[in-house]
Amino acid sequence: MRSRYAIVLAIAAVLVGALVYTGCGGDDDSTSNNSSSNTDSQAAKITPGTTVKLWIMPNGPQPQEDMEASLAPFTEKTGIKVDVEVVDWGVQLDRIRNAAVSGEGPDITQAGTTQVPFFAALGGFEDLSDRVEDVGGAGAYPDGVWQTTQVVGQDGTWAVPWFTEARSIYYRKDILEKAGVDPATAFKDWDSFRATLQAIKDKVPNIQPFGTPGKKAFDLVHHVMPFVWDAGGAELSSDNSQSTINSPEAAEGVDFFAKLVDDGLADKSQLERDGTQVENQFEGGKIAVWIGGPWVLPSADRSDDTNWTDAARKNVALAPMPAGPNGDAFTFVGGSNLMMFSASEHKNEAWEVMKYLSQDQVQTDYAKLLGMFPARVEPQQAVGEASGPNYEAVYQAIQQGRTYSPIPQWAEIENTYKGRFGNILDEAAKGQYSEANVQKQLDEAAKEADALLAQGG
Amino acid sequence: MTTLSPTEPAPVGKLMPEPEGGRRGSSLRRSRRRLIIGLITPAVVLMLLVHLLPMLGGVYLSFKNLNIFTFRQLFDAPWAGFDNYRSILFDTDNPLRSGFTGAVQNTIVYTFWTVVGTLGGGLAVALLLNRPMRGVKVIRALMLTPWIVPSFVVAVLWQYMWQSDIGIINKVLVDYTGILSERPIWLIGENSLWAIIIPSIWRGLPFAMLIFLAGLQAMPQELHEAASIDGAGPFKRFRYITLPLLRPLIAVQLLFGVIYSTYQFAIPYVMFGNNPGPDADLMMTLIVRQSFSNNLFGYGSAVSVLLMLAMLVWVAVWYRAFKRDLEVA
Repeated sequence: MRSRYAIVLAIAAVLVGALVYTGCGGDDDSTSNNSSSNTDSQAAKITPGTTVKLWIMPNGPQPQEDMEASLAPFTEKTGIKVDVEVVDWGVQLDRIRNAAVSGEGPDITQAGTTQVPFFAALGGFEDLSDRVEDVGGAGAYPDGVWQTTQVVGQDGTWAVPWFTEARSIYYRKDILEKAGVDPATAFKDWDSFRATLQAIKDKVPNIQPFGTPGKKAFDLVHHVMPFVWDAGGAELSSDNSQSTINSPEAAEGVDFFAKLVDDGLADKSQLERDGTQVENQFEGGKIAVWIGGPWVLPSADRSDDTNWTDAARKNVALAPMPAGPNGDAFTFVGGSNLMMFSASEHKNEAWEVMKYLSQDQVQTDYAKLLGMFPARVEPQQAVGEASGPNYEAVYQAIQQGRTYSPIPQWAEIENTYKGRFGNILDEAAKGQYSEANVQKQLDEAAKEADALLAQGG
Repeated sequence: MTTLSPTEPAPVGKLMPEPEGGRRGSSLRRSRRRLIIGLITPAVVLMLLVHLLPMLGGVYLSFKNLNIFTFRQLFDAPWAGFDNYRSILFDTDNPLRSGFTGAVQNTIVYTFWTVVGTLGGGLAVALLLNRPMRGVKVIRALMLTPWIVPSFVVAVLWQYMWQSDIGIINKVLVDYTGILSERPIWLIGENSLWAIIIPSIWRGLPFAMLIFLAGLQAMPQELHEAASIDGAGPFKRFRYITLPLLRPLIAVQLLFGVIYSTYQFAIPYVMFGNNPGPDADLMMTLIVRQSFSNNLFGYGSAVSVLLMLAMLVWVAVWYRAFKRDLEVA
């Protein structure tokens, strides 16, 4: 009887051991499997019939169909099939991280530009340095866009830029007219921006002057940071060693933004909403001015998009972000890049897909569907200059745009800043705004960010 | 040989009287034991794989220094000893511990009011529905509706209802009835904790009502009749008959209610995202934020373990308090 128990125990031990091994340590090899093994001769080896798995996020109203249509000519030409899966933004970070760590995932994934350093530092992604010359290398992309493929303190090129966006002021021409404000100067600088909102508040009933999302918005930091940059502040010191979000300049920018809520120029109830919900409020004619990305523009042209009221659809217009006290008018430039997993068994075929998606015309066509801009210099310029005044405003914004320091901890620091900016706006909504309260929250944000910067292996 | 009398409960593991006889009896015992083991084994294996192993993994990770740079090593990450625990419990200056005390306080307040509201409301509705009246079956069925709505849907629905400018709650309170002169902002500030407590009660109340109703309907009416004859009014009958007889049901619901509420995640997450702010941050949102947004998995695991230990203490306290009721039940 005892020997039977011993056999059962032995089998159980083997099973548990196997489980632990496969669950925890099975992908060690993939960490060392970087691009150094990808020589040019290997890059030429393509096997038609191979299926490359690609994760994208919900880009545009029909992400799956649009992507498959965009890739159809590629499959026809090369014989390489692409299995597209749409992963929601709410879970994409977790899924990509888990795929990178476990080695179980697709061959390529879309990643937000500010996420690239985090994923690169995590490991599990291919260094594309040896391959990027195929798509023109750094010279084919604007400097700021190319910067999003790099990581401070870590050699390598970890992504290929895919599409780009920049935040601009969305406003209603008819509302500005009713308020007696000239659109040409309405958002020229901080003072005229405030004056415009005040004029709308005073002269146009039944519409809120300005709306911004609150703590629930994943991109709250993108809304606030341009004002910090305009005032001469920055998210981190120039050597990325410590947070400077509590500097007097940064506080001035955050103060300006929070005071819009405190003074009743920004609608408090919009702070209960996330970015998409505030976007819907603008489209629904509830708010006159809003800061948003170019992806909203195509929906205004679609008559089947019932979010838009007729008045909002007819009168939507864009303006660059207002200039701050130093005359700078920064905006956040974001977008998405493509990254290749180290665990991919079809790296050459995956690179063919990435190369195809980096072609000027393919980028132009796909970005147009999303209302985004191609990441590459030439098609970006072509789209900006030939798509009407609203797109031109976004193109100008991209040129004046700025992004965050490409350090591995940025995603975490951004999350910390988001929480503190949310608290500041909440306090303003509760009537508890004061410069001292803003400074206190920013001091806490800086401390938390410094602690995140200090962490190491 | 064991003989069962009709009034005696069957001892566990001896549901059938043992057969007489030496070899035949022992063979039957063996086959019965094999049957029992065969029936229990799948559940035990599943529990081990789904509950115990991940739990042990989580406890182990709580002693690791896991962050963005070490996450890939997972179980091989540098050993942190009790640093994560020390940081959470004693290092108030550690900025990464920020929000822990507030989350503990909010979780206690949330759990208290959710459990009181759910059990109190459930009992009140059960008492109302435990009487013959027209349409009572339809009313009971309707009362159960919130319980079948998933938590995520509950949160989405209430999120829209709470919106200060267009939400139905402010429309009723301000526009339709004039109870309030100004529109309160529910999803910001102190009100935001109530904005998650009330939907939680709304969702949990039907189940409590169902259990209490079953208890009330199984209650012998003779006791109430006898007490009425002796001159006891409705309150006294409730205080001295209904409530004591419902104690076992209250006990079980209290146990699960506290644990369920403490582990609440879906409703605050859907309403406020991963950072509900200082007024509505709960333990679970803090754990998820620190683990998955800040990649401090060791820290998050340590908070999870502390929360689990707190729940074990609660179970021990609960068991001591209600042991007698359970034995009676």
